[in-house]
Amino acid sequence: MTNTGVNTARPPRGLAMSSLLRADSIVMLNSKTSLVLSALLPIVILVVTSFGKGQSRLGGSSLLVSLALTLGLLTSCLLGYTLALAHDREIGVLQRLRVTPAPNWMIITSRLVVQVATNLLASIIVVIVGAIVHGLALNVGQYLLVIAIAVIGAAMFLAIGQALVGLVQSTNAISAIGRLLMIFLLLLGLLGGSGILGDTMKTIADWSPVGALLTLFSDLLNQSAWSGQDTSSLLACVGYIVVFTSIGIRWFRWNSR
Amino acid sequence: MSEVNMPAQPPVLDISGLRVAYGERTVVDGVSFQIHRGEIFGLLGPNGAGKTSTLSAIEGLVSPKSGQLLVDGLDVRQEPLEAKARLGVQLQSSSFQAELTIQQIARLYGGLYGVKLSREQIRESMRTIGLEQELGKRFKQLSGGQQQRLALFIATIHNPLLLLLDEPTAGLDPQSRRGLWRRIEELRGEGNSILLTTHSMEEAQAVCDRVAIIDHGVLLTIGRPSELIDKHRDDPRVLSVAHGAPTLEDVFIGLTGSEIRD
Ligand SMILES: Nc1ncnc2c1ncn2[C@@H]1O[C@H](COP(=O)(O)OP(=O)(O)O)[C@@H](O)[C@H]1O
Ligand SMILES: [Mg+2]
Repeated sequence: MTNTGVNTARPPRGLAMSSLLRADSIVMLNSKTSLVLSALLPIVILVVTSFGKGQSRLGGSSLLVSLALTLGLLTSCLLGYTLALAHDREIGVLQRLRVTPAPNWMIITSRLVVQVATNLLASIIVVIVGAIVHGLALNVGQYLLVIAIAVIGAAMFLAIGQALVGLVQSTNAISAIGRLLMIFLLLLGLLGGSGILGDTMKTIADWSPVGALLTLFSDLLNQSAWSGQDTSSLLACVGYIVVFTSIGIRWFRWNSR
Repeated sequence: MSEVNMPAQPPVLDISGLRVAYGERTVVDGVSFQIHRGEIFGLLGPNGAGKTSTLSAIEGLVSPKSGQLLVDGLDVRQEPLEAKARLGVQLQSSSFQAELTIQQIARLYGGLYGVKLSREQIRESMRTIGLEQELGKRFKQLSGGQQQRLALFIATIHNPLLLLLDEPTAGLDPQSRRGLWRRIEELRGEGNSILLTTHSMEEAQAVCDRVAIIDHGVLLTIGRPSELIDKHRDDPRVLSVAHGAPTLEDVFIGLTGSEIRD
């Protein structure tokens, strides 16, 4: 701070962005919920299922690891990120940030970057634990692809979450809808995808967010060759990202009134 | 400061014909005023008069339906980030991230305003506002007066041209209120201009060079506190509420009515 008259200079963007990233990372590290949702919960599932004989019924170890990965992304993005954003909007944190010279996109981008980085790290840990407890032999290329797909999955669920916060004002409603949506997407992807609800449901499920992501993860972990189904799943994910990101940007409200 | 040889400076804030509406409802209707360098300007009005909405338009939080808003000669809508760099803001209801400590909050906002603060500098600043013991605490763990001091510190962290304070003394005890007034005087001494809202006439008279009274989104009168009393002392609405010589509060109630707002 200088005392030589008042300050009129626009601050450097790099400093603003790094300050935001730093603060958002601290918030993320301090938030037990997000860490539990993104890593601990999937690991618990992996460890618990490694004891039973349920693997064959659920589709084998690669599907279980895929499920754990998907669940970590789904819960931490759709609940963790979304609720934190809605809460900060409700108590006025976003408004306070918005009156600074940092552009709006920077405020949201910083949060997204920290969230995706956390999901990446969590996904790597989950897949390593999964490979160990479920006896999968994975090469480096597969690990890298897991990371790539985790980014796509995180982006997809974050886009859905962003749209939810855009369309719904109240934090309580967002919390309730987010939970329901999560259960719905999970059931649709798992039960529908298993085929027990019929062929139509299986098709719908395969194109649903959870279904598509599960397909990508499990084909990768299975070492199966790239199939037409994988292309469809990838397209579905990209489609969801585009659609929900547009909704999230178009309808986003910075205040809760 | 070398203001002597400089070309004529634009007003720090120049508002003309400002109109703000939420949906169909117009809540700021044709407001115009200017604030000059080093001036402390008070926007007075009952609850719901449109004070916060006026500030929100300056801050870029709402986009006005019409009117012109210039900060230091810059159009707020065309150059929002340049304008924001010149503003220090204390919102009426705002908060900082609940998970961050005071130290981390100061660091974040310093960075957002382009001011790199070392740990030692933050500690020193907190010492001057009596929050040295609170450095490791979270915003929510602070008392009302401490929160206000932190919010004001953050608002002035980049030594802004214009400081916008929305009801800065609401809910403060008399000691904290006096402390804030002192700080406001200091800021004026450092060349900052201040726009504050209040419904305390005592406050307006104590710190403001000029005040404007706003109600139902319309500016009713504007001038030095003593001028306003002179100007309206014979207004029958003011006389009917005055006990003896009219005060600023009598002018305020006379012009805005006695009915209670919420
Ligand atoms: N975001 C908003 N949406 C709708 N109405 C609002 C909003 N903010 C304020 N208002 C209304 O606009 C009017 C002016 O409010 P405000 O500017 O906050 O007044 P003041 O700060 O003088 O108390 C009030 O009637 C208030 O209810
Ligand atoms: Mg207000």
